[in-house]
Amino acid sequence: MTAAPSRVPAAVAAEPSPARGRRNGPGRVGYGYWWWCIPAVVLTGTTVYVTTVSGGFFAFTNWSGIGSFDFIGIDNFVRIFRTPELLGSLTNTLGLAIGYLVFSNIIGILFALALNRTLKTRYLLRTLIFMPVVLSPVAVSFVWKFIFAFDGPLNQGLGAVGLKGLQQDWLASPTLALGCVLTVMVWQNIGFVMVTYLAGLATVPPELEEAAALDGAGTWRRFRSVTLPMIQPSIAIATTLSLIQGLRVFDQVAALTHGGPDNSTQTLASEIYQQTFTYQQFGFGAAMALMLSVLILIFTIAQQRVTRDRTEIGA
Amino acid sequence: MPQHMTRRVRQGAALAVAAAVGVSLAACSSGGGAGSSNAPEPQTFSFAFSEANTSDTSLAQVAQAFEKLHKGVKITQEKLPAESYAQAIATRVQGGNAPDAFAAESGVGQADSIQPFAKAGLLLELTNPQIKKDLEPAGIDQFSYNGKVYAVSRGSGVNGIIYNDVAAKSVGITISGSSTFEDVLNACATAKAKGKSLFGLAGSIPANTSILAHEIATSTVYGPNPKWNADRNAGKVKFATTQGWTDALNDIKTLSDKGCFQPGAGGAGFDALTNGSSSGKLFGFFAPGGAAASIEAASGGHVKLTVLPFPAHSGTKTYASLSSDQSVTASSKTKSPKLVEEFLAYIASPEGQKIVSTGTGFPVGSTEASQLPSTYQDVAPVVISGDTRSFPPLEWPNGKVNDDLGAGIQGILNGQKTAQQVLQQMDSDWG
Repeated sequence: MTAAPSRVPAAVAAEPSPARGRRNGPGRVGYGYWWWCIPAVVLTGTTVYVTTVSGGFFAFTNWSGIGSFDFIGIDNFVRIFRTPELLGSLTNTLGLAIGYLVFSNIIGILFALALNRTLKTRYLLRTLIFMPVVLSPVAVSFVWKFIFAFDGPLNQGLGAVGLKGLQQDWLASPTLALGCVLTVMVWQNIGFVMVTYLAGLATVPPELEEAAALDGAGTWRRFRSVTLPMIQPSIAIATTLSLIQGLRVFDQVAALTHGGPDNSTQTLASEIYQQTFTYQQFGFGAAMALMLSVLILIFTIAQQRVTRDRTEIGA
Repeated sequence: MPQHMTRRVRQGAALAVAAAVGVSLAACSSGGGAGSSNAPEPQTFSFAFSEANTSDTSLAQVAQAFEKLHKGVKITQEKLPAESYAQAIATRVQGGNAPDAFAAESGVGQADSIQPFAKAGLLLELTNPQIKKDLEPAGIDQFSYNGKVYAVSRGSGVNGIIYNDVAAKSVGITISGSSTFEDVLNACATAKAKGKSLFGLAGSIPANTSILAHEIATSTVYGPNPKWNADRNAGKVKFATTQGWTDALNDIKTLSDKGCFQPGAGGAGFDALTNGSSSGKLFGFFAPGGAAASIEAASGGHVKLTVLPFPAHSGTKTYASLSSDQSVTASSKTKSPKLVEEFLAYIASPEGQKIVSTGTGFPVGSTEASQLPSTYQDVAPVVISGDTRSFPPLEWPNGKVNDDLGAGIQGILNGQKTAQQVLQQMDSDWG
């Protein structure tokens, strides 16, 4: 905001004031006025922040969603930590978020490197890999549910190639179901991560890599010492968004497993939905939602600190 | 006196004067809800409900029948999507723009259950003594809160096995209302030998696994002790220490081990039931009895189904799980409280029940086989003799107890949990 007056073209700045209030000054932003953003600020404030604060308010009540309520202090928060199944949901959420972050970024960057320059069919392949991103997560999950079904294509395929011993009831197994959810999440996110890294790779000058190659650096060395530092902003964006999406995962769990078998794939977001809308414990659900928001905030800040551009730190 | 109160008094006085000179201003009365004025009520009211399928027109028909009986009355039907009905109606009731009359669930535990609404003062109290009398065979408690009646039943239905007897007999299997649990196990073996499954189970859907448990527990728990829920409330019994509950869950494990359910039942959804039934791979599944008539109608009469009670063990009596929980209630904010109550009284009456119960099973309090639909042929002797028990979760304190029963059964099928662990969790949920 402070830099705004300097962006005003000299010709415009030199013109006499056309109307009252259009003088240069701290309130002026380019060709407009600060108060032009009031509608947007009010709209965002009322639809996002006021409602969020209202939700936070109900976290300290025993509201059932209907009728009156009582203030119960921090009882809802105490209850969260005393409910073993919620701790299981927390573990699942963290496991999914970390797995989602790691796998989708590793696979995404590999695809980005493979489809960055030389391959002739790279544009077609980029489109094909990006395509799942534009699909609805619920629709994608239902397709995968069909694939994972006991008599579905996956088991049929295994049987067809003589691997009947590997056939599983994928979504009914407490040990495999979480992996199935993670697979669907990663599969759909790879395209987005790939595009993010492709944008970063476009900023890496080929001359730098060529110079490194002439100096005798191998493929891994060039990637580690040249490419990776230069796509640091892309890494920060891709990992931050992956982490946030992973922590709030809901659609895939709801469509694939409903949190089952026997709650073994419940996440914090699916628990919040269940407690709030199925069991009509709005107060408790609001407390869990608040906890999830704080959790996302903490992890995001920590992750930002880990992936920030080190060259800026010294600047 | 607050300003808005003053305004109401003024409006009331104006209406009284207008009524005295014979001018009807009822439509202009905004006195703030039911019973606030002696002026004639609007003769139009809204009625919201959902239809399970295109052939389920029972509620639309009962509204039309009421209109025919009351000239000048117009019922505006609001047909809402079945998938989101409970949430939609709960939001509207809570938001103060509920329909005048609407379909709901009795008791507690569902998003559209009447008792939380009644507790918050959002429902119209039904004071017509005939309603109470008509509801008594269904169990008045589930339609009441604090001794006041707020809803009427849409009829009764047996929760049982929706069974394709014709298809089963074609592979040499015969199961009837007088069969035993042991007969079922033998039939499972026969079906398995023919590459079929006797039953389909949507193991990933707690509502489906729990209804099976209730069908079995009706004979093992509620048959011998019809007051088990009251005893649980009083702390006299517990799930984990009641042998009948342990037996019910162990029976499900036995059914699974003997191959009674389709392969992959533990992770299956409702699609497995529809696919399995339509392809002839399974012969029965567990659902409210009304599903049999709906499927028959949807198939255009090509499929003949029957409703069976879940057979009890040899030497013990089979009881049928009976529910009358689907109901119709009214908003306390309706501007036509007398008319709406009259409509609900009509639904509760024998004439109304005859129409509305086509969607659920049979009229509340039916005592003759002729009153039951053709799909109830096998279960009729059990119903007529009164060997029925109410659907257990209607009297449970919250929905989580039933959800954990359903999810726990999936855990039992997958070897994650034992029957005792599931029952202990339910005791913990009860509070």
